[in-house]
Amino acid sequence: MAQYLAELDGLFLALADPTRRAVIHRLGRGPASVGELAREATMTLPSFMKHVRMLEANGLIHTAKSGRVRTCVLNRDQFAVVEGWLAQQRRLWQEHTDRLENFVTTHKGKDPA
Amino acid sequence: MNPDLDLSIERIIRAPRKLVWDAWTDPDSLARWWLPSPMLCRVDRLEVRPGGAFVTRMSTDGTEFVPHLDASFLVVNEFERIVFTNSVDSGWRPASPEPVAMSAEITMVDHEEGTDYRILVRHADPAAKDRHAELGFTDGWGTVADQLARFAENVR
Repeated sequence: MAQYLAELDGLFLALADPTRRAVIHRLGRGPASVGELAREATMTLPSFMKHVRMLEANGLIHTAKSGRVRTCVLNRDQFAVVEGWLAQQRRLWQEHTDRLENFVTTHKGKDPA
Repeated sequence: MNPDLDLSIERIIRAPRKLVWDAWTDPDSLARWWLPSPMLCRVDRLEVRPGGAFVTRMSTDGTEFVPHLDASFLVVNEFERIVFTNSVDSGWRPASPEPVAMSAEITMVDHEEGTDYRILVRHADPAAKDRHAELGFTDGWGTVADQLARFAENVR
């Protein structure tokens, strides 16, 4: 629970800034390069990189460098952390059912019956 | 079903019902899917009958196992239905499990493609349990999650 709350603290801190929220909003439409995002934020690249790093550190986005271009992608999984407790439980049971399904559909040969 | 407290899952599993049943009731089988890898599971007690114990432990290294679930079965209809709860432990002592007390009802029905598999999980009210703790934010919690979801609605 403590770890979960610490994670939430980081997430909300990351989301408590209009520049970073704008990045999340923009990435919801699809991946974008850091340069492109910085231009939209009307900010110098070094200042903008601080925001990118913060979002990445809190798992809200992933970045990957290809050549000279660093591309940012929204990490949808992390949004699950800010969902309510019931949605979390649902996700756990879904994953649970995935594992059961995988187990019974790949171990048929071992059925003694 | 109370939509604020309960959840249900329905899945058509492409395997015979008996196989699904065995995956739940055979300790060695259960241990292989009960926890997400790389977590290791040890099934200590799996007494699949009303009032029977349901105790599993987990480990990250395979040597030290810590408690995972300490529950008891409420209802068992062979090949059809399993109901268990973590609000009564394997020694029939009332419990206050983390993160929330629940009962889970698992039902299996034959389906032309395999097994119609359903789960209904009924939860205790976590807000009531945690009222003394830091979860004062529970009340506004749904709203925050909703707003964030709306904000990132093009995330889908």
